[in-house]
Amino acid sequence: MNREPVLELENVGKHFGALKVMEGVNLTIAAGERHALIGPNGAGKSTLFNMISGMFPPTAGEIRLRGQRISGLPPHEINRLGLSRSFQITNIFHRLSVFENLRIGVMARHGIRYGLFTPVSRMRTVNEEAERILQRVRLTQRRDHPAGDLTYSEQRALEIGMTLATGADVILLDEPTAGMSREESQRAVQLIREVTEGKTLLVVEHDMNVVFSLCDRVSVLVYGRILATGTPDEIRNNAEVQEAYLGEEVA
Amino acid sequence: MLARIALIAGLLIVLIAVPPFLGIGWQNALTNMLIASLFAMAFNLLVGQAGLLSFGHAAFFGVGAFATLHLMGAIEDRIIAFPTPLLPLAGAVAGILVGAFAGYFATMRSGVYFALVTLAIAELFHSLAPHWDGLFGGEAGLSSMRMPWAGLTFGSPLQVYYLALGWTVVSIFLLWAYTRTAFGRLTLALRDNEQRVRFMGYNAHTTKVIIFSISAMFSGIAGALLAVSNETANYSLFSTHVSAQVVLHTFVGGSTVFFGPAIGASIFTLFAFYISEVTRTWLLYQGLIFVLVMLYAPQGIGGLVQTHIQHWSKISWPELGRAYAVAAAVAVCLTSALVFVVESFAIIFSPEYAAVRGRLDGAWPPFKLFGLEWEVFSPFTWIIPLGLLAVGLLLLPTARRMLRETWNHILERAEAARIAKSEIQLAGAVES
Repeated sequence: MNREPVLELENVGKHFGALKVMEGVNLTIAAGERHALIGPNGAGKSTLFNMISGMFPPTAGEIRLRGQRISGLPPHEINRLGLSRSFQITNIFHRLSVFENLRIGVMARHGIRYGLFTPVSRMRTVNEEAERILQRVRLTQRRDHPAGDLTYSEQRALEIGMTLATGADVILLDEPTAGMSREESQRAVQLIREVTEGKTLLVVEHDMNVVFSLCDRVSVLVYGRILATGTPDEIRNNAEVQEAYLGEEVA
Repeated sequence: MLARIALIAGLLIVLIAVPPFLGIGWQNALTNMLIASLFAMAFNLLVGQAGLLSFGHAAFFGVGAFATLHLMGAIEDRIIAFPTPLLPLAGAVAGILVGAFAGYFATMRSGVYFALVTLAIAELFHSLAPHWDGLFGGEAGLSSMRMPWAGLTFGSPLQVYYLALGWTVVSIFLLWAYTRTAFGRLTLALRDNEQRVRFMGYNAHTTKVIIFSISAMFSGIAGALLAVSNETANYSLFSTHVSAQVVLHTFVGGSTVFFGPAIGASIFTLFAFYISEVTRTWLLYQGLIFVLVMLYAPQGIGGLVQTHIQHWSKISWPELGRAYAVAAAVAVCLTSALVFVVESFAIIFSPEYAAVRGRLDGAWPPFKLFGLEWEVFSPFTWIIPLGLLAVGLLLLPTARRMLRETWNHILERAEAARIAKSEIQLAGAVES
């Protein structure tokens, strides 16, 4: 596996006014790695995701994507540099069809942002690619349904599809299996493993089964600090982590 | 699809073939109808497709009109030669430029704040125009003349009508084509979820500025057509009344249906033309129609039409016909009662009537309404509206129940058909 760092966080901190929610976070994610971010509620996982994806800038430190500084850039520019994220609360285009949801992403990949002079139905590559992603996330049956009509787990699959559609090779998934049954969750993990093949993945997840079956490395975030980073086994056996977070859940 | 094309073609033939046989008043009314339709369609690009409700679209309508009058003035003074049929291009250019500038600031915000900024922009023009002689002709406004071009004099209302028809049809076609482009689809995505659009690599602000400018451009064309038709314009074009009118047209017609705004604008302009000659209270009726549509058919007239087309095969026409007949009877009773009372009161409380009373030492002379004379204090006068009101209210619960039940039946049949269809699909999936 290529061990070149793709995403680097250096001394990243965030405070909202006087409230310090994060301090001195250092994290390096290598190309092709599947990295999980775990931690109790309120540890700052979502804050970290929001800073990496450009929802808001960090107040300290630097975030680099393939060596290029991305901290402080707006979300659309970060996305164009090849980093795409999903959302914890399903964030789709409810009134558009499933296919169109994906096509919006594919259009972005091809830089068709202000395409005012060609009917979209004639853009063959775009449509074919959208169809392919539709197949990969197994929503072909639901192609022409409004996305708002899908079941919850179908919407989660669509969410992942949209994250992939923009063609980014660094993928951030925010609790992709939240609220799913065990069975649905297993299928979602299988899907994530398939579609992120060859890409770099950073995932926030609460379900330890998912974390340990999906990821190569795990970072534990507690009170806005990285407590430990290591392989699933190392994390499982780390006394400090057990005390702080995992507790009896793993033992 | 074929039925739709046939419908549009039929409508076009009527719009082309019928006006020569109408009077000048009607020809003018139809021109105004086309202008209002185009304005509402342009407005709906913003509100219906991008989900941005503007309360100041009069700004771009007015700017289009004034730009066109400046160009007409230059042609009249022989400063430049320009083909008269292409005059609305001036409105388009002015619309897109002012739209891009105003839109840059307005679209920094969404929702209520966006609406308030657009309102402020229109108000800015409205208060600036009367004091700016050079650009807006001061309080009197600008006037000019349509110059003949290539043998066409543009002297008759009919020629102006055809000019407006051409521009309206082409503009609405372009607005339709817009919905088919990649950018058109992005517009819908932006309406549904602006945040996600940003995280998919699109600059949401730039996208909104472009949508805003295009909407302003077509609004400018509509304003230009008004300038060509009236040969004059003053600052009242920027008034909130104009901005409110287009909101009204769009929502009564239905902002979720592509042709909805044109339907609303057409009905209201023709209604205004027809009714405003008969009564001074027509604005009250217009407001009532708006309130009723918003309360009982929030998707607008276009939405109603679309619902019927969508469930066409599931409708039991005898049942629906009965329900609509009862509803129509109720509507006629209540409307007649209301109109009678409103029109009577309008007369009784008018200054003219007061003047007559003054001459008669305070007596209450009979008043004329619907070609008959009515005594103010005769019970017979008021029995008519009260009776109509009573009949209407008595039948109202029945009408509502029949409408509700009929539509429940239709929706049940549609749902049953949908489930049956998906079961076939599932069965197919198991076999394969």
